[in-house]
Amino acid sequence: MKTDLQQNIIDATQNVFDTMLMLPITSGEPLADKVYQFKDSVSGMLGFSGDIQGMLTIHCPQKVAFAITEQLLGMSVASVDEDVKDTIGEMANMILGGIKDAFLHQGTDINLAIPTVMAGRSYQVKGVDYASWTTVPFCLNDGEFLVELKLKTLK
Amino acid sequence: MGKRILIIDDSSTMRKIVSRSLRQAGLDFDEILEAADGQEALDLLEKEKVDLILSDINMPNMDGMEFLRQKKENDSIKDIPVVMITTEGGADIIGEAKSLGAAGSIKKPFKPETINEVLSDLI
Amino acid sequence: MDLQKHITDATTEIFETMIMLDINAGDPIVEKINNFKRSVSGVIGLAGSCKGMLAIHLPDKVAMSITGSFLGMDVTEVNDDVTDAIGELANMVAGNIKMILDEKGNNVTVSIPSCVHGDEYTLDTVSDSKRVVIPFNIESGQFLVELQIKN
Repeated sequence: MKTDLQQNIIDATQNVFDTMLMLPITSGEPLADKVYQFKDSVSGMLGFSGDIQGMLTIHCPQKVAFAITEQLLGMSVASVDEDVKDTIGEMANMILGGIKDAFLHQGTDINLAIPTVMAGRSYQVKGVDYASWTTVPFCLNDGEFLVELKLKTLK
Repeated sequence: MGKRILIIDDSSTMRKIVSRSLRQAGLDFDEILEAADGQEALDLLEKEKVDLILSDINMPNMDGMEFLRQKKENDSIKDIPVVMITTEGGADIIGEAKSLGAAGSIKKPFKPETINEVLSDLI
Repeated sequence: MDLQKHITDATTEIFETMIMLDINAGDPIVEKINNFKRSVSGVIGLAGSCKGMLAIHLPDKVAMSITGSFLGMDVTEVNDDVTDAIGELANMVAGNIKMILDEKGNNVTVSIPSCVHGDEYTLDTVSDSKRVVIPFNIESGQFLVELQIKN
């Protein structure tokens, strides 16, 4: 499958922020080194399978997770509660939905699982070594978040 | 009594998000009702009058498609317009929803303008 | 859908064949457990005609002992070997569950796993799906297998 994963991630993420959030974001260069240690953060994970298997994860520092939730729900948020977790899970859902569309144009069909959301003062999220990964950082006013796409590489 | 919209989605957060989008879209309605799945929606519709329904597809207990099927068989509610809200909506899923009576579909993520375009004629 | 039986059968089979550790399944845990301390959680998605997710939650100690059995070596810290092994364990249990669901007429595929590790973290699924959590006891302690299926 010939596709520019970086562009797929940027387009899908940008679309969510332009439409439902109406928050300006800028994308950065894909990370050269894996980031897997997170502090005071919220991470939404969503697996997918079908023509290709993988996982999409969005990692947000708490402040950014709060800003996104407040923007989507129109109410202020003081702690990582159900609304914040559901919002980050829904972000993963919508971003991967956009990536699914891009894959479909390439003739690759994927089905989404259900999102899981992790949160904590300090945690690590690790993948498997048989997956390729692309992580794109995005900036908004309240900070930076990462969108990471892992794909099972064909042996 | 003003217009009432029913939102069916298993995520309470998603229901809040859709509620907010409806208000931002500037549509003419007075009240929003909520249900967590197709069965809850059918139970609610036995007692409450509703002018428009927005429904998720993937829900536990009774999903959006089954809700459409059962609604079609019920004379008192079969004519209420239903718009499906999808994340993964491929042409086949949307086609199936339409064949079951859905008036349209909106794919997440959506702008308030899209809500307006799809819904303003239906409410 | 008898999720309790699917989880118990799928997990027990892996432990009896590949890991070769004695294992005992307990009754489903009804209270919500989403807070984990000094633990490792392997998470993998299920998609296709059933949407869902499988997670295995283990205290560090138990994760290390299972990895030790898997790899045939002493494991004294939660390192990459442990997170890889637990990810692989989630993969195998999900694979078994996929086979069981497919035998019943479904068409399920699994994603790739991820592994979470931390001193204290919460792990929640977003949807209101049917959720079953089964505790398993092995010599080094107890771990949980959680399966959520949306429809």
